[in-house]
Amino acid sequence: MRLEKCWFCSSTVYPGHGIQFVRNDAKIFRFCRSKCHKNFKMKRNPRKVKWTKAYRRLHGKDMTQDSTFEFERKRNRPERYDRNLAENTLKAIKKIDKVRVDREARHHASRMKGKKAKEHREAEKELVQSIHMVKAPAVLQHEPSLTLPKIKVKVSQQQSEETRAMEE
Amino acid sequence: MAALFASKWSHVGRSLLGCLASNSSGVLRTSHEMTCSNYFSQQQRTFIQMRTKLKVVDNSGAKEVMCIQALKARKKGARLGDTIVVSVREAHPRGKVKKGKVCHAVVVRAAMKRGRCDGSEVKFDDNAVVLLEKGELIGTRVFGPVPHELRNTKYVKILTLADHIV
Repeated sequence: MRLEKCWFCSSTVYPGHGIQFVRNDAKIFRFCRSKCHKNFKMKRNPRKVKWTKAYRRLHGKDMTQDSTFEFERKRNRPERYDRNLAENTLKAIKKIDKVRVDREARHHASRMKGKKAKEHREAEKELVQSIHMVKAPAVLQHEPSLTLPKIKVKVSQQQSEETRAMEE
Repeated sequence: MAALFASKWSHVGRSLLGCLASNSSGVLRTSHEMTCSNYFSQQQRTFIQMRTKLKVVDNSGAKEVMCIQALKARKKGARLGDTIVVSVREAHPRGKVKKGKVCHAVVVRAAMKRGRCDGSEVKFDDNAVVLLEKGELIGTRVFGPVPHELRNTKYVKILTLADHIV
């Protein structure tokens, strides 16, 4: 049983799922679900749609080159059944999967490394550049128009008007 | 005073609603137009029924045929792999088949999706047939991709002649 990849999102198409479209030059487009099929019909480019694997690979969001990806490959020669080999393969799958997940986590961590410092720097810069927008507490006491409570008072006045109207 | 307020509120409310409604209708209309244009640019994805025009993908000499009857007594029409009765609309000069001839044909490609034995679906670019004469193929070649479902029919020869089986 062969598990194909979706043409649009590159996820695995399991048997009995999805739809395949055969163009007149015999190229087969397989889709994992109607979402991908619809996007194909809308002539969208998977490299420009953010949720696809193609986009994430192209923009360095995901790990692209790794030795763990070498195990998943299209082989056109059928493998002869061997009990020991099957057992070892099943054991290896778990280990390889663990290694892959770890490496992906490391990749994500390295990608996000400078983010916190950058945000901090930006916030500091904003504070320096737009300090004039912040008023000192003494000024606020002198000029009540700048404070929030003034607006609150206004709202309460409106309410009182309305209640008066209701009473009438 | 209350009446005044009420009238004011209702007026505002109505104008708001009206604006919303007009907006939404505009959005709906544009999307509808888009879908329509998309739909008409593609092949009709329905059953093959009376007056459906199909392409002929063998070297029998016919170019285009029209379905005049779907056999198998299905109410809705023929699908991928079904046999139909056709009348030849367009034919090459000096071909085996002349214009106006009525013969049987097998649908080898259909734009309407058809379920496969494993539960997935398959669909093609166009509607195409191969012409038959007394249960035998008229042509000696089949062009383009052909589904492997034809193996279950009487016309396995189509698969042997085809260049691509999907």
